[in-house]
Formats: sequence, structure tokens, C-alpha cells
Amino acid sequence: VHNGGLYKRPFNEAFEETPMLVAVLTYVGYGVLTLFGYLRDFMRQWKIEKCQNATEREEQKDFVPLYQDFENFYTRNLYMRIRDSWNRPICSVPGAKVDMMERVSHDYNWTFKYTGRVIKDIINMGSYNYLGFAQNAGTCQEAAAKVLSQYGAGVCSTRQEMGNLDKHEELEKLVARFLGVESAMAYGMGFATNSMNIQQELKGVICLAVKHNLLNIFLSPLLIQGCLILSDELNHASLVLGARLSGATIRIFKHNNMQSLEKLLKDAIVHGQPRTRRPWKKILILVEGVYSMEGSIVRLPEVIALKKKYKSYLYLDEAHSIGALGPSGRGVVEYFGLNPEDVDVMMGTFTKSFGAAGGYIGGKKELIDYLRTYSHSAVYATSLSPPVVEQIITSMKCIMGEDGTTVGKTRVQQLAENTRYFRRRLKEMGFIIYGNEDSPVVPLMLYMPAKIGAFGREMLKRNIGVVVVGFPATPIIESRARFCLSAAHTKEMLDMV
Amino acid sequence: YFQAPAYHLILEGILILWIIRLLFSKTYKLQERSDLTPKEKEELIEEWQPEPLVPPVPKDHPALNYNIVSGPPTHIITVNGKECINFASFNFLGLLDNEKVKSAAQASLKKYGVGTCGPRGFYGTFDVHLELEERLAKFMRTEEAIIYSYGFATIASAIPAYSKRGDIVFVDEAACFAIQKGLQASRSNIKLFKHNDMADLERLLKEQETEDQKNPRKARVTRRFIVVEGLYMNTGDVCPLPELIKLKYKYKVRIFLEESLSFGVLGERGRGITEHFGINIDDIDLISANMENSLASIGGFCCGRSFIIDHQRLSGQGYCFSASLPPLLAAAAIEALNIMEDNPDIFQTLRAKCERMHKALQGISGLKVVGESFSPALHLQLEESCGSREDDVKLLKRVVDYCMNSGIALTQARYLEKEEKCLPPPSIRVVITVEQTEQELDKATSLLKEAARSLLN
Repeated sequence: VHNGGLYKRPFNEAFEETPMLVAVLTYVGYGVLTLFGYLRDFMRQWKIEKCQNATEREEQKDFVPLYQDFENFYTRNLYMRIRDSWNRPICSVPGAKVDMMERVSHDYNWTFKYTGRVIKDIINMGSYNYLGFAQNAGTCQEAAAKVLSQYGAGVCSTRQEMGNLDKHEELEKLVARFLGVESAMAYGMGFATNSMNIQQELKGVICLAVKHNLLNIFLSPLLIQGCLILSDELNHASLVLGARLSGATIRIFKHNNMQSLEKLLKDAIVHGQPRTRRPWKKILILVEGVYSMEGSIVRLPEVIALKKKYKSYLYLDEAHSIGALGPSGRGVVEYFGLNPEDVDVMMGTFTKSFGAAGGYIGGKKELIDYLRTYSHSAVYATSLSPPVVEQIITSMKCIMGEDGTTVGKTRVQQLAENTRYFRRRLKEMGFIIYGNEDSPVVPLMLYMPAKIGAFGREMLKRNIGVVVVGFPATPIIESRARFCLSAAHTKEMLDMV
Repeated sequence: YFQAPAYHLILEGILILWIIRLLFSKTYKLQERSDLTPKEKEELIEEWQPEPLVPPVPKDHPALNYNIVSGPPTHIITVNGKECINFASFNFLGLLDNEKVKSAAQASLKKYGVGTCGPRGFYGTFDVHLELEERLAKFMRTEEAIIYSYGFATIASAIPAYSKRGDIVFVDEAACFAIQKGLQASRSNIKLFKHNDMADLERLLKEQETEDQKNPRKARVTRRFIVVEGLYMNTGDVCPLPELIKLKYKYKVRIFLEESLSFGVLGERGRGITEHFGINIDDIDLISANMENSLASIGGFCCGRSFIIDHQRLSGQGYCFSASLPPLLAAAAIEALNIMEDNPDIFQTLRAKCERMHKALQGISGLKVVGESFSPALHLQLEESCGSREDDVKLLKRVVDYCMNSGIALTQARYLEKEEKCLPPPSIRVVITVEQTEQELDKATSLLKEAARSLLN
């Protein structure tokens, strides 16, 4: 690690290479699945096998078909076999232990029936409940209940019209104080936060994209044609789509690779825009605090040093790291001991560590004023629901220690301990784990497609709920199971896992 | 092989000579990299100055200073410290303050906590979500429904899931911003037709048909959609659905209907515009609505046949990758649906109040009413513009302030001026809810008359 002097603590990240044999077997596995897929499609077409998809209406049979066969190939043949690993319905608080509704499928996952029984006390390693605030008792819940009875559940108006409650103002001041920035703005949905704001700043097209839609929305106000976005390799593709829609140019640098980023920055400033050679209007670097699929943490000190040297702007997406990293839970900026004012746009969500819903952006006052005036959500989208706002306020105060107890601090420490313990034990057992040692997202590599389904089901039999991800969210040979640690997990639970 | 024709041998000879030449010629790069010395590069880096991240916003921009509402935004609302009667929140059926809805949400809060901590795919699906989807599908009499956690994202995720680059979408000019964003994200060809003008739409469809005949292979894979709203938010009128259905079958186009304002308002039992016109709901391919108006909750849903809705479970951006709806809001929506089903006469009451208000507002000099007589969200536009949009906005603001000072809370309809495709003229939004009494309606009308008389003449 060059620039090691910038780091105040050891930065241990490891991404083991996949063993050659495993990679080959994985490809073979996918090849076999694809062959079977073609075979079954053939049989379905010749009516040897019954087609169980929903079909078009009789009256509309001569319309242009809505879906193309090839698009659904993956869905029909690969996804359907292991569909029961996802969308598992639960019927209790998504805390450390959860109750799940049992479902069976008699026709190989095409349809599900609920047996009516409930599997109780499944250890929950899949919900993004980092600090354990997903509770149905305690101060947060009581405060939210009080606000619910006072204010009601919905708001029925947009921020700029009649939906700006005093609670929202209180929340925004609190968020700004928590992050250490000048001012902040809160939105109803993380997703919406990104797409709509990016648009504004970009004065271009909205980027409605997936989870990192957030980024798109945020970036849109910031970017115009003539702007350059440098985005990490693992930032979601939707971001790329969104940025392209806005008219800005996007260039990708290798994941967490500072030399690659520096080279791109140098080239950009020296050579200017690709054909006209005019200088770029703005350069924006897009990184995430913790990458959810890899479990790695961004090398923030180096990024900030580069940003200052080349006068660009930094956009930090802390969806997974706020509340989860740092000695007092203030995110990746505090984890490295840096100044939050160095980051131009800090964006995050309230869904993960605070047990609520929504997102926020923090930054300088001019930026937030601009967003308040021109952001799509402020003008067209309903504001946050009051009990949700109250949950965020109470949990944030708890983390900051302002409610008079040390519950917040103990939770943050518990999470850090859990993370280190869990990772150490898994490594001792010989699994391949990706990512930084301090990141609460632990991906465990599975590689082979057959293992994805099998792992999920076996763990469920042992009363542990995990999340498995495969293509297209990850590269094709690197499917993984992802554990999300939480402060609510006790040592016994982790040992059982 | 010496019997091969002469030209063949000559051609091969030439090719071999050419290859030898290429092998021995100097290679050259296609792009000239600049030959700047490192020192020059350093200088360029030093000199470059970026623009500020965002342009500054003037302090008196009308949208910068929000009205602060203290307390719940229900029938009586406290805006900026003053108590007023609420004519600005879309709380059509008055369910925001309903005790049954609140207690259902409380029960759900006690059981599930506030957040769901995950998207639908990863332990974020609760039984309340499944129940709400079933109830919505049953209420609307469709096969299936799917819930989104944010109203804006509903239609904006639904459209790109079906319509991709190369497909054609015919959309009304007055479509709301969320639809415009969905269309942009879908990258399809957009064809705008004049608001509610079926002749214009038919002309566009005929043009498309002639195009298709020139290239039938391409036409066979290009999907076509019409996107309309049930009750338009920007103009307050309804789309002519029966004619649209006829056009649908004549030109083989699918219809997506956005019913955010008409769900829970139009129709005998609040099922929306399909009930209002008496149309078979299977004729509409997709109905999308948000639950933030009549249902007084947060979020949105799409309903239709399973063939169509199931696709969104994997490819709806706002569904797969965002956290699911907090269960207390889903429980509030279920209870609101219960109330809607048990009291079907509130729709009649609401319609009567709308008609009354619409008639009463007709006589105001200087302001004209835009919207149907049974629409609960009306616009009041200036009859004569002052010249520039800014001046119009300022004048309307004075009218709004006058009314707010005397106890009626109104708001201007807000738009993003630079981003809308067809920007509607500035207007005051008047919302009629079931909770407003006749005296309050009269008071509002008379205040508006006074304000118009004193400020607009």
C-alpha cells in the first residue's frame, strides 16, 4: 500500500484468487445448466413438457409480444430452480432472530403455497440490521408510536407544497450535526434520493436505476454535459446508465485502485474532453463507503488526497457504512479519522443502521439549498412519514449518546467485535472470505451454481437464514453467500452459524 | 492445381505480396498521444479550475423557503404558526387522521418495529406486504398487484421494465413528472400527443402504421404503448378511456394507466377510472397508482394480470433493489382499504362536494378554474398573465398569502421549470376533501373572491 503514511490504522483487505479447479468446475456447471435450459425450452415448444408460465390474453395474442424469449431464458431455466432462496416472507421483527412463514412448492418452484406454519427463531444473517435498531420495543419504538398517534401515518403532500413538517426540519438539523457537515436534506427513499438529485446537479436526465439509483438521483443535479464522472468498478451499473443519460462522461477505475484513479485524473485534466479538447467543467469521483457485494472499504485517505491535489469533487455513498463503521458510528469518514468537510457530497440511507426508511444528503449549505429548490423529490414526491422520522431521530440520538445512555456506544462496539470474531472464525475454518477485516458485510465465496441453492436450503434446515447472490449481481463465477452482521447478534448465535 | 483460372492465381499472388508488405511496414498508432513533457502536464493541472459544484441559488427564490407545518397535516393544519383549514394536502378521503388506521399502524409497529432492513428479495418481504398485495388485487379485481415503497418510483420503475430502447411510447402532453422520468429512463421513442386529443393520437398511430409497413420485420418486434393518467394532476381532467380502448384494439397498442389521483376517487366504489367508465379492467394492461393520496399512506402499487405484473418482480428497479415498505405503512394502507370497502358512500359525498366547489369557484374574476367538476384537485390559473412567469408566480403567491392569513391553507402547484416537457402555467392548487364542511367550502370561496378582487384588479 503506497501512501501508507496516511492511514492511522492497519488496513487489511484480502481478495483471494479463486482456485483454478473451482473456476473450471463452475464454468462446467453453468454450461450444463444452459444445455438443460435449451433442452427444456425445446420440449416446451413441442408441448412435451407443460408450459407453466403465465400467458397473454386471448384477445391480445396478435399484439407484439411483450417479452422476448431470450430475455427470459435465464429466468425460466436457472432462476426458477433456486427461486425459493429469495423473497422469503417473514412475520416478525427483522432482528437477530426472525420468524419465517413456511412455504412449499409442489411444482419445482413455479408456484408456492403457504402451509400456514411458522418457522420460529431463525438466526437472521441477511437483513441489513447493523446496529440492531430493528426492534419492536424500547425507546425508539415508543417514540415512534407517540408520533404516529399524533401525526398519522402518511403526509399526502410534497416537501415544497404542504408536506414540510417541523419534524423534517428537526431531522435535517440532527443529521447535519451527526455527520459533521453544514447542512443536510432527507428524502423518503434512498433510491429516489440518488436518481433525483444527481439529475438536478447534472441538469440532465434522471437516472432511475437500481439501488445505486440513489447516486443517479443525487448526481443528476450536479452533472451537465461537460462533466466527468470517475466511478469505481463496483459501483452499480445503473449508475453508469444514469450518468450516461445525463450527458456526462463516465470513466471507470479499478476497484479501490488508487494508481488507476490517479492516472485517470491526470489524463482527464491534461487532455480535456475527448474530441473537443476543451477543459472539463467538473470532475466528480464516485465511491462507496462499504461495497456491499465485496465487503471492502474504500481507501478514503488516499482518495481525499487525490481529490485535493486535482481539485475534483467527491461523492461518497455511505449506504452500508453509516452507523456501522467508526468508533462512534459516524461512518467511514470517522473510521479513518478524516474531516467530513473534505467530502463534498455525503449520501446515505436510513434503512440499514437506523432501522427506518429513507435517505439523506449532507454537504455545504449552497449544495443543500440548491437541492431544496431543484431536486425532483422535493417538488414531486411525498415527504417522509412522521413515525419513520421519529425512529431516525431517536436512533440517531441514541448512537450519538444524547439520550443519556451508553446504549449507542455499546452497540457500535458490539458490532465491531462481532465483525472481527466472525471473520476470524470463518477464516480459521478455511472458507474464502472477501473484503476488509472491519467491514460488517461478509461475503463467503461459493462459486458453483449448484451450491447456491444447496447452501441456502441447508442453512435454512439448521434454522439460519442467509442471503445468496449469483449472476447477474456478481461476476459469473463468483457467486457468494453474504452475511450481514449486526450488533444484536450474540456470540452464541455466531458460534452456531 | 495448375488448371485454376489465371485470375485466381494473379489474385493470390497480389494478396501474398500485400501481406509481405504489411508485415514489413512500420506500425503506427491510430491516435497521436500528446507529447507533453511532465512539467507541462503539471502546469496544466495547476491551472485547471473547476466550476463550483452547484450554481448558487438566490435567497428569495420562491421554492427555497418551505412552509413549516407544525403538527399533523390533517383537516386543521398549523402552517407557519397559524391555524388554517387544509385545502392543500391530497387527503381526499380524510384517512390521514382516522383512528382505526392509526391503531392498525400502532399494532403493526408493536409487532414489527419501524423499518424492514432489506429489499424484498433478502428477508424484506413481510406477511403484511403479501396481504396488502392480495387485498389490492382483490379490490381492483385484477389477478395480481405489486407494491413499491415510494410513490414517485412506482410508475418510474414500471415503464422501463417493459419498454426498452427501440420501443415506441405514445404519451399525453400533460403527463406528470414521474411518468416523464420513467420514459427517459426507458430510452424508448417518445411521441407526445396533444392533451386528451384522440384525433391527434390517431394521426400519430396511423403514421406509425405506415412506417411499419415499410419495415415489417422491425415492426414485429417493436412494442408499442400508450401511457395516460386517469385524472391528470396538471390539468384536473380525465382521459377518454373508451376511445382509447377502441384505438388499442385497432392499432394493437398496450395501455398503461396511471391512477394516482383517480384511485379512491372515481367510480362507484372508488376503483378508479375503469369503474367510472364501466370498462373491463382486463382491457388495461397495467394500472399504476400511488397510495399517498386517497389511502393516506406512503408507497405505490401496480396491478394487472399476472403475466404482466410478475415481470416487475425481477426487473422493476424500484422493487428489486430498494428496501421494502415499512410494515406500519402497509398496515395503515390495509386498514384504509377496509374503510373504503365498508363505506362506499364517501365517494358520493366527495363528488358532491367537488361539484359544489367547482360551481362556486366559477364566478371569481381574474382567476379561472381548470379541471373537471368531479375532480378533487383543481387548479386556479390567472385569466390574464402579467407577462412573465415570475410575475405570475409572485402574484399568485400574494393571493395564497392573503388566504393563509385569513385561515385557509392553499399552495401553488410546484414544478421544476427547466425539466418539464410541457410546463403548465402557474396556478394555485385547490384540494377538496371529504372532511371539509359546507361552511368551510363557502369560506374558502369567499376569501378567494376577496383576494382576487383586491389583488388582481
